[in-house]
Amino acid sequence: MSSQSKTAELSVTSGAANFLRNYYIYFVLVAVVALLSLANLDQFALFERGNFLNKRNIINILRVSAPILVVAGAFTLLMVSGYIDLSIGSTMGLTAVIYAMLAINGMPFVPAFLLTMLAGAVLGAINGILVVRLNITPVIATLITLSLFKGIALLLVQDGVSAIKSGGGLKMPAWFNDYGRDGVFLKLPAAFWVAVAVTLVLIVVQNRGKLGKYAAATGGNPTAAKLSGINTGRTVFLLYVIVGVAAALAGIARSSFMSLGDPLSGDGMELTAILVVLLGGTAFSGGEGRVLRSFVGALIIMALTVGMLTIVPAYYQTLVIGAALLTAAATNHLVSQKGKVS
Amino acid sequence: MTEEQKISVLSVDGLTKDYPGVRAVDNVTFSIQNSVVHCLVGENGAGKSTLVKMLTGALAPTAGAMTVNGKAYVPTSPQEARDGGIATLFQELHVVDELTVLENLTLGMEKSRFGFFVKSDLEDRVTQTLATIEPAIDPAARVSTLSVAQKQIVEIARAASSGANIIIMDEPTAALSEREVARLFTVIRRLRENNVTVIYISHKLDEIFELGDTVTVMRDGKHITTCPLSDVDGRAELIELMIGRTVFQSYSPRGKIGDKVVLKAEGLNTKLLKDVSFDIKEGEIIGFYGLVGAGKTEVARALFGADTFDGKVIFHGKPGGKTPKEAIAQGIALVPEERRTQGLFTSLTIRENVPVMNLPRVTQNGVFKAEDVRAAAEEFVTQLGIATSSIEKHTEKLSGGNQQKVVLAKCLFSQADLLLLDEPTRGVDVGAKTEIYEIIKDLANEGNAVAVFSSELEEVLGICDRVFLMFDGCLQEEIENGPNVDIAHILNVVTGGQDEDAR
Repeated sequence: MSSQSKTAELSVTSGAANFLRNYYIYFVLVAVVALLSLANLDQFALFERGNFLNKRNIINILRVSAPILVVAGAFTLLMVSGYIDLSIGSTMGLTAVIYAMLAINGMPFVPAFLLTMLAGAVLGAINGILVVRLNITPVIATLITLSLFKGIALLLVQDGVSAIKSGGGLKMPAWFNDYGRDGVFLKLPAAFWVAVAVTLVLIVVQNRGKLGKYAAATGGNPTAAKLSGINTGRTVFLLYVIVGVAAALAGIARSSFMSLGDPLSGDGMELTAILVVLLGGTAFSGGEGRVLRSFVGALIIMALTVGMLTIVPAYYQTLVIGAALLTAAATNHLVSQKGKVS
Repeated sequence: MTEEQKISVLSVDGLTKDYPGVRAVDNVTFSIQNSVVHCLVGENGAGKSTLVKMLTGALAPTAGAMTVNGKAYVPTSPQEARDGGIATLFQELHVVDELTVLENLTLGMEKSRFGFFVKSDLEDRVTQTLATIEPAIDPAARVSTLSVAQKQIVEIARAASSGANIIIMDEPTAALSEREVARLFTVIRRLRENNVTVIYISHKLDEIFELGDTVTVMRDGKHITTCPLSDVDGRAELIELMIGRTVFQSYSPRGKIGDKVVLKAEGLNTKLLKDVSFDIKEGEIIGFYGLVGAGKTEVARALFGADTFDGKVIFHGKPGGKTPKEAIAQGIALVPEERRTQGLFTSLTIRENVPVMNLPRVTQNGVFKAEDVRAAAEEFVTQLGIATSSIEKHTEKLSGGNQQKVVLAKCLFSQADLLLLDEPTRGVDVGAKTEIYEIIKDLANEGNAVAVFSSELEEVLGICDRVFLMFDGCLQEEIENGPNVDIAHILNVVTGGQDEDAR
């Protein structure tokens, strides 16, 4: 039967497309790392001698990657549900300021850490309320809070100072730096391992959790989700809260790494997060996307960014990264188009 | 099945639904037994959809009661309807493409603890249900890789495993090929064997006779009869039950049809249309009559260059425009099916809407000549009798009939001499309807050619000189309008009767 062979053909091509969709990100990672490892750093005065892929460089990359790594998974789930949060950079900045203020005023690590996470949850909840309750378009709602949260962070810092840091009679406690810099395991700091732990939890949530499946259903076909008795509003609200908490963890990691609470420390994070998640194969329209692949996407972006710093003159970097992403996004788009039989 | 097993699973008693000014469902009483395929038939506007909406919880009845599985039934959502025992297969598919078949089947019914899924017999149960009705679908497949027909079966399996014992199917074969229809029918029969009652709604009467055990006929919101299909003596009797002895507004020939062919279409083919050929003469009103999905809108859109197609359109001796822009420039105008979304700029005023199809007429070097725009709007408000306080009124604030007149004004302003009117009086009150018919006749009398695409037989027979009957993308028959048209025959043709005769 001709129609039967046609069906078979379709399933073969969609099988190949599925394979590409599922694994291409790892090939990209390998390719990027391989390219970078070819670079000989001897010519660059700024850096250590030898290969790009030396131990120190790798540790460095992973240390500065902690903020984006901790956000990527949560951001993926939110995008899978068909929603977006442009305010994560501002949430990061505001929570970084809050964390630094708590620390500099003498609060111990654990309560300061937990209170900052709570602040992130509240900021996420505000986004959730704007989007779910007040029905404001996600892009607009989170652009509003992008501005609001940043405004609050700047107000908190005040007085012509650019950030919360030691000085004027107040001193950052000694532990402040440790979370983001001090190697606790395999010479990597706690901030990195928290990002790994969060990602692992979110992978389980995505594979075995109600929230993961309902996020996919909400993003894939909201009407079907509602008709199946799923409270899509609650699903989306929860996801915004989780993204808020993840952004707070990113804020803590960044401020700890830099030893200060900078209200602008998260600027541009929303773009990085979107790029990372798209690179990981998440559909902008929702329904599709994996936490683990976004994590890998984040590693790629960071390797590229740091790699660029060492090899390419500064003024080329943005352009090169943009071009790399364009290629990745286009491939991803083609692959996911082919996977669909309409 | 033995006689004592027959129990009533659904009964409605005195069910009534009033809309402002209209009684859509009028004191309907009937009951349906278990394990049957029960068909619901009636013309467009007979009240079927309203009845179904009440059964699915989308609408609350004005009066009357429903009983399902022996219990009083007052659903307020599809969810509650399903808990009560009624699941519905809507015309649009409600599956999540990105999930697997199994994930779709269990969606919203999963057992979980602390937000994580726990093992239960649910997965086995739904897999079993799916295997019973269609073993060929792999539960692990992603739904995006399935065909429309397979997705539909996934939805049926979900309905069946949700615990509902009554499944409503609204025109389920509309998007299916012949082979897929046969497969769907097998599925429906298996459901019936498994003690599920199917309420089947279709315009295609041969499907009704092939599949149905019992039938309920509705007409003008009223319940006409509920009986076994074996008691109905073929299509003719069913059609008679559906239309009754309706007297249509009689057509009077205008007798001014020219000889000059304005437009000739040859062998139009699209995804839906099959070899559609016809012509329109100067001063003539032709009608395309068929049920929803028969391909009327597709013909209109093809002529207007809005959709691509294979075949030839000759307009005034030249090939027809390939885009709406070209078609308008040649003198073709379309009044689209959806007035609010396709026909009007509802946030703009009458004055701003009227000239949009032919801006060069009222601009100079790209700048509006304000006086000309105003004059044009005033002229059409008077000519078409648009009831408005001013030409500055926003069109969203006008009534349906007046909105439609603004759409007509837009087309007339483009100086078209072929007007394509897709459902020209949908959602328009009776008074405005008559006025629009007069406008259409005047336009034809002035020598314009008019094509009316309508799913209201009364409309088509009221104004058209020639009528093309459409079914399933084909022009089945061309009839000259006149006092002796055979309405039963027309209904037979547009419900697929001619196909059956040909077999």
